[in-house]
Amino acid sequence: MHTDLAETIIARRLRAAADDSSEPPYDWAEFQRRGRRRSTATALVGRDRSLAVAASVVAALLVTAVAIVRSSHRHAPARAPQAVVARSGLNDGVGDRGVGDRAEQVATSPAHTRAIEGWLAGLPRDPTVVRVGAHAAVSSLQDQIAALDDLMSAERVAGAAPSRLGALERQRAQLVSSLAQLRYAELLASSTP
Amino acid sequence: MSRLADIAISPELIELARGGDEAAQAAIYRAAGPAVFALIRRLVGNRALAEDLFQDSMMVLFQRLGDFRGEAPLGAWLRQIAVTRSLMYLRSPWHRARLHWEPGDGEGPLRSAMLRVAPAISSDALDVERALAALTPVGRAVVWLFEVEGYSHEEIARSFGRSVSFSKSQLSRALAQLRQGLAPQEDQGACTPI
Repeated sequence: MHTDLAETIIARRLRAAADDSSEPPYDWAEFQRRGRRRSTATALVGRDRSLAVAASVVAALLVTAVAIVRSSHRHAPARAPQAVVARSGLNDGVGDRGVGDRAEQVATSPAHTRAIEGWLAGLPRDPTVVRVGAHAAVSSLQDQIAALDDLMSAERVAGAAPSRLGALERQRAQLVSSLAQLRYAELLASSTP
Repeated sequence: MSRLADIAISPELIELARGGDEAAQAAIYRAAGPAVFALIRRLVGNRALAEDLFQDSMMVLFQRLGDFRGEAPLGAWLRQIAVTRSLMYLRSPWHRARLHWEPGDGEGPLRSAMLRVAPAISSDALDVERALAALTPVGRAVVWLFEVEGYSHEEIARSFGRSVSFSKSQLSRALAQLRQGLAPQEDQGACTPI
């Protein structure tokens, strides 16, 4: 069959399939019930967000510190993006003020965040050795990033000011950075004999 | 062609809903809900996730109804809300990981439990659902936005934050897969012995 004709037929069948839907997934009463439940949950998340972020970062730093101590006995460190290493102070330049400052400048840039996300995507889903505390912190950070993605999407739809979106982007970049540090520390800890 | 954007909701009903009239809000929910859910379900595939996004989209609609100026149909405004929220899931690596999708813009085949189709639909629609379920999430979203919702390549590219060629290549690949997926039935029809 000619390609154009085949595509026309496919398009027609897709539109016909779209017309088959006649009901919302649940009725108005259920929609209201779910809405009330979600509003309550959102309020709780909003109130606890700062506390949760702080707790996660502290947990990340603790695990990182343990990993640094342990990794001092290791042969070769796991590979991590330079920005993550510089920012976490895991490299030789822990006391190098210049490196820290430069890392701080690029830490919230979109390119930096994308690079870290690319590195994170290449990691195994779980480390070889799963530590409960670190794993909980990783899950918590991932949840917060997802919640922030939701919030940013809603703000964009609502036509939020660029400054507001910029602030959310920076907050997200910090969370991604914390997550990368935590995952890097997990890698180091896993490879410690 | 655009189903959701074409839904007619009277300005009077919108005005009542904006003022907090629950009956008017329920009427809008019943009028637009099915198309919103159908759109989101086709975009994200997973029914449970589609219900979450549907709930979010409809809540945003009623919360922001005061901002609606009536320059475009309400359905078009609502469609934009639903599409934005759905694509956010397709773009987010965290959400993709949760749904066990392949990384990298959904290049790999979709392996999760897919579209649970509504009961009592035609066998042709069932074939279409199966063929759609075999597409990648991104490919399915692009083909649905282009062929059913009437988005242009430029609009799709903007929605995904990607280039126009990304939209074109995704569409071409998805259509090729759909042609393959739907071919047996087409061939049957064409080759029925007399």
